[in-house]
Amino acid sequence: MINPFRKDLESRSRPEACTVVIFGATGDLTHRKLIPALYNLQVEGALPAGVKIIGFARREKSDEEFRLGLEVVNKKVSRSGHDDSIWQDYAENIHYHKSEFQDASGYERLADRLDEIDRERGGNGNRLFYIASAPEYFDDILANIKNAGINRNKSGCWSRVIVEKPFGTNLPTAKHLNKVVSKTFRERDTYRIDHYLGKETAQNIMVLRFANAIFEPLWNNRCIEQIQITCSENLGMEGGRGGYYDSAGAMRDMVQNHLLQLLSLVAMEPPTDLSADGVRDEKVKVLRSLRQWDTPELVAENVVRAQYTAGHVDGENVVGYRDEDRVDPESMTESYVALRVLVDTWRWSGVPFYVRMGKQLPKKATEISIHFKEPPTVLFNALSGGVPGGNVLVMRIQPDEGISLRMVSKIPGSSLRMEPVKMDFHYATSFGKGSPEAYERLLLDSMAGDATLFARRDEVEEAWKFIDHIHHAWHESKAAPVMSEYVAGTWGPKEADDLLGKNGHKWRRL
Amino acid sequence: MGDYADNDYALALGKEVAIADVDKELRLLWEEDKASTNASLINLAVYSERQGAIIKNSELVQIITREHACRALLIGVDRDSPEASIRAWITAHCHLSHGRKSVCCEQVAFQLTGRSTGRLRNTVFSHLNSDLPLVFWWQGELSSLFSERLYSLIDRFIFDSSEWSNPEHGYACLSEAMQSEQSLLPMDIEWTRSSQIRMAIAGLFDDPMAANALEHVSELHVVVHPDHRMAGLQLLAWVIQRTGWKRSSELSLDSDLGDVYYYETSAGSSVTAKIVSDPLSAPVGKMEFIAPSMEVRATREVGSPYIRQELHAGEHHIERRTPSNSDDSAELVMNQLSRAGNNSLYCAVMPEFLGLLNAE
Repeated sequence: MINPFRKDLESRSRPEACTVVIFGATGDLTHRKLIPALYNLQVEGALPAGVKIIGFARREKSDEEFRLGLEVVNKKVSRSGHDDSIWQDYAENIHYHKSEFQDASGYERLADRLDEIDRERGGNGNRLFYIASAPEYFDDILANIKNAGINRNKSGCWSRVIVEKPFGTNLPTAKHLNKVVSKTFRERDTYRIDHYLGKETAQNIMVLRFANAIFEPLWNNRCIEQIQITCSENLGMEGGRGGYYDSAGAMRDMVQNHLLQLLSLVAMEPPTDLSADGVRDEKVKVLRSLRQWDTPELVAENVVRAQYTAGHVDGENVVGYRDEDRVDPESMTESYVALRVLVDTWRWSGVPFYVRMGKQLPKKATEISIHFKEPPTVLFNALSGGVPGGNVLVMRIQPDEGISLRMVSKIPGSSLRMEPVKMDFHYATSFGKGSPEAYERLLLDSMAGDATLFARRDEVEEAWKFIDHIHHAWHESKAAPVMSEYVAGTWGPKEADDLLGKNGHKWRRL
Repeated sequence: MGDYADNDYALALGKEVAIADVDKELRLLWEEDKASTNASLINLAVYSERQGAIIKNSELVQIITREHACRALLIGVDRDSPEASIRAWITAHCHLSHGRKSVCCEQVAFQLTGRSTGRLRNTVFSHLNSDLPLVFWWQGELSSLFSERLYSLIDRFIFDSSEWSNPEHGYACLSEAMQSEQSLLPMDIEWTRSSQIRMAIAGLFDDPMAANALEHVSELHVVVHPDHRMAGLQLLAWVIQRTGWKRSSELSLDSDLGDVYYYETSAGSSVTAKIVSDPLSAPVGKMEFIAPSMEVRATREVGSPYIRQELHAGEHHIERRTPSNSDDSAELVMNQLSRAGNNSLYCAVMPEFLGLLNAE
């Protein structure tokens, strides 16, 4: 029987009650993101009634101890504050399950527990497994879920899995992970989470492009000169992050997933519909169309990698990358990367996409800027000085989410002088209500079976294919491109400026 | 201007300006403060014929602009005044956006009296922000000023049917307007009052046991405050429209238990639906479904910020609290504005609701 009261109540797919099992439940992600996200959904009345949460981890804890630890963090980080009454109801549905990830008997006990919950809930056996553990446990967890039989869909119910990044560390490991996942869950039940896609402004890229008739006719190589995607961070390796980061680097940590996802949203063709596969089919075509930098020479020509040296960020002294805690003093891991990406499609032929990501840059910002071609060299361009810069459409992903458009305007006066002016839309100014956290949206989508904002297997593999060529040139070729340096607190190495300079372009000043 | 002194108006509404100078004075207002950002996503007109309402409405707009940047036009009308006059005041409502930037929204207040009320459209609507939608909040009974000349300009029309002494007449006017102006989108604050109860009920029926028992429901109870009988009828209309239950016999009015209606589910179960008016109830105090094997209930105590949700089906029990709608009209309007969209559910339920209303 379908619930008739849901229809038209909300303009979104209907989330269904389920039991959420979080593997790695004592970790930071669970405490700071997942539990607060589910709590905020409860506060907004969006969490389906009957949702149960089971935290699966190795440490000895009682339900009460687990809930108390979650409550302490929730009080600090919850977007909507912390209401004791609502938390009390919410926490009653949170339980702790102690087991080693490799211990098969722990999963059998989990299966019994899930069955018990299903019985209490009157047979509703929907299950959502969230793998938030360290990646080295993914294989064991997935194999044990399968062996315990809890991956199987009960009649009329579903079992789904959410996999946190990294989805592998290269193409072979991604393929391996996908293979392991596919042995346990069907692709349609697999949700590879990329929290960037849950951000309001990332979702707005499609709205901006396809709900506004004025942009799409210009969205091609006839009108666009270049596109820049920037993710700058003003942090280094604080909080012991050096250990993980030194094994990953900017390319794997950010570019392979978040930034290539943004790029595919910007570059994709209009989907036939807004279904998960309708959108993802178009995104994966973009990734397939990336020109491969598959020789060390091409990598040297189109990719810049760098590490920061000691400098100042936000008025504070910071050490160089190789002097960071838990970083190898001889590390060859990049804390900065800049790429020239070419999308070999009819629409984007000849338009460079410049992608950069760096640590210890002057400020925190993620944005996409569309640089339109300058007007023809007649009329105003024929005047001394020409037109001061072309039109730039900027989509700010974070912080200060919004959209701006730079145009040229006449300066008041008797002479003909022009200056760029900016039309600026700020989400926070126009919409006083804060946006939901990305995890809220994504968790709700996974309960509703809507995978639009999750990465599909072929997307992940295509992205790794592109990245792997570069990594191979950096780490395995004899003629490896150099590792450049930049002073912490600056906008990156000179080589990154030269990368654009070759085409007469410049990085946008943020 | 009745019991209010000029000073009361100046304190609440800002600087009094000549009608012809409103735009010029607004520009000067911004030039005085370079640190603020002027934000506006909609034109929000707030209309009232109650004495002194624009003072109170300025306070409401101050609240609304925290989440909904707008150009606010406050319209106070005194049609019975012997004196024909139009006065205007300007001010800006500012707040810190996310603790950082000072964001301000312009407000222009108009007081029209006597024969000047006929100049409402020309005077007031020349101050709209172009290209932004006009959201018109009409407070109180619909009067003769609610005419084609007015509603043809409106994109979204907010009203509160609980304020109407003659709802049948009010809805008839509204229906006529909607037929004449198909783009006019009605938004009833009374409907918004029940939105969290509807969310709660929908959430409980997500449960398969509850959903399966819906066709076997024998009793439906709605408890509302006597001032909010429209909300009770709307909730009943919502259930009927969603479930397709058929009316099985005439309604029984003035029963000791309230309004009683009889339906039949597609499974042939007879349903007795009661709308009970209880002076001790919250505006929308309870909605309850009872079937032989299941009870689903959403209740709200007077003044409580929570709705208590309950589902009992054999050994299966769910009890939880979720947030309730506010009783404050500004909060309800904010809720309306946040939902945006085309209010399709309300429009779908409206024929059933009008059927219940007019059957009485």
